[in-house]
Amino acid sequence: MSFKTLVHAVSTMALLFCTLQIWPQSPAAPKPVLTEELPSGSMHDKAVTACTECHEARIIVQQRLGRAAWAKEVDKMVKWGAVVDTSDRDALIDYLSKNFGTDRPPYVPPRTSSIKAAPQAGASR
Amino acid sequence: MNSRRTFLRQISGAVLVLGAGSLWSSWASAQAQSRGIQMPGEDGLLVRSSRFFDLETPVEYFDTWITAAPRFFVRNHMHEPSELTATDWRLTVAGEVEKPVTFTLAELSRIAPHSVVNTLECAGNGRGLYRPQVPGAQWGKGAVGTARFSGPRLRDLLQRAGIKLSGKHVMFRGLDEVPGKVPPFIRSIPVEKALDSGTLIATHMNGSPLTKHHGFPARALVPGWIGAASCKWLTEIKVLESEFVGNFMSPGYRFPNRPGKPGEAVAPEDTHPVTALNVKSVIASPLDQADLKPGRISIHGAAWAGEADIVKVEISIDGGSSWNPAPLARDHAHYAWRLWSYIWIAPRGDHRILARATDSLGRTQPSTPVWNPGGYLYNAVDEVNIHVV
Repeated sequence: MSFKTLVHAVSTMALLFCTLQIWPQSPAAPKPVLTEELPSGSMHDKAVTACTECHEARIIVQQRLGRAAWAKEVDKMVKWGAVVDTSDRDALIDYLSKNFGTDRPPYVPPRTSSIKAAPQAGASR
Repeated sequence: MNSRRTFLRQISGAVLVLGAGSLWSSWASAQAQSRGIQMPGEDGLLVRSSRFFDLETPVEYFDTWITAAPRFFVRNHMHEPSELTATDWRLTVAGEVEKPVTFTLAELSRIAPHSVVNTLECAGNGRGLYRPQVPGAQWGKGAVGTARFSGPRLRDLLQRAGIKLSGKHVMFRGLDEVPGKVPPFIRSIPVEKALDSGTLIATHMNGSPLTKHHGFPARALVPGWIGAASCKWLTEIKVLESEFVGNFMSPGYRFPNRPGKPGEAVAPEDTHPVTALNVKSVIASPLDQADLKPGRISIHGAAWAGEADIVKVEISIDGGSSWNPAPLARDHAHYAWRLWSYIWIAPRGDHRILARATDSLGRTQPSTPVWNPGGYLYNAVDEVNIHVV
């Protein structure tokens, strides 16, 4: 392989690396979760209506809990007003346990953008 | 040939240096920046939640004694009050008092103000570091900050109302907007802490009126205690004969009386309320997984201990085999953190740097935190891993 060819190959790999986010598959370091969307599934719509009326999906997406802990959370939230039919309870807990279980890679939060402070309506005296 | 060799050496060196963890860490950090959420007045905070607001201060900001408001973490249990004006706002003091009193903001501003530099930390700071993980905002290390809070002393307000001897606890209620059937965020503190000269009804933070995120127009400021004690958007103070009974007093904000096995449930009768903060230090720099050049490296950060004083911070650059004292910075106040720094001449290699603080009560950060179901008071020895190449 000529030097030029090698440079070209390395550059192409680097470009793919950056633009397509093609990363080495390493079981020791799984790819972090970077989305706040609830994943698809039979309970997706139920999770959206039951949970995100009061808080955003990000609060769910960052949890890493076992099934028993998810069951406790769902029951607490139902007590606090989340609308979940009794017939949907177990399936919703399954959905949350599967997608946000202890074996899932960590969620990485975004940052607030560094924009100039605007006057806050409530902060004037 | 030389340039070709240099190029190949650089490429292979870069590939070798970038371990998988470092790779993900750098990539995730870049992604966190590019996914930025527009939020006026909040400067590069980590978004744990934007509805309701839970914003975390990145550790690299812990290099100033006073944390500027745009960099100060925000912890809301519920939605912020949507309609709140300085002219309409009222604060009542009632309950076990001789004469209930209501204050306007103008009346409050005429009571002698007092200032306290306080390190405010969310009880759940570090929750995301516990294993097994527990539900709740998955804070990393940055739900903490230090600010100068100013306003009248709570005891001056209580004295105007004439607190009765039957008053044992002082309850705070804020104007948080409660979603669904969630219990309101109401908590109480013992009357002894309420009457302490450091406990304020703060209207100002770092010399400016509180912003809405930090409790405008007034919040309780219970120095040295967990952030949840310092109720925001305060509108009612009520003196009670006993501790307030409600979700955010129990089962919320309680800690096991004895350390248990991680992951095991704790009976409510075996818990006590979380009040004062633990002894703790955090490394602000270098950042975890940083790639650095050999030579002089400044290891620095902050350490705090709630109502106690920091007496020493020690650094280990060999993974805990030996410890070296880190000089404390000059700025200090009773309830405020101490900045510290340690200069190290770093050789090439991978290094595990640890920081641990000890306070005036003789408490030292443990190597393993006390796991608890609420994920409160995380204070394990802090650690960063760096690559010097």
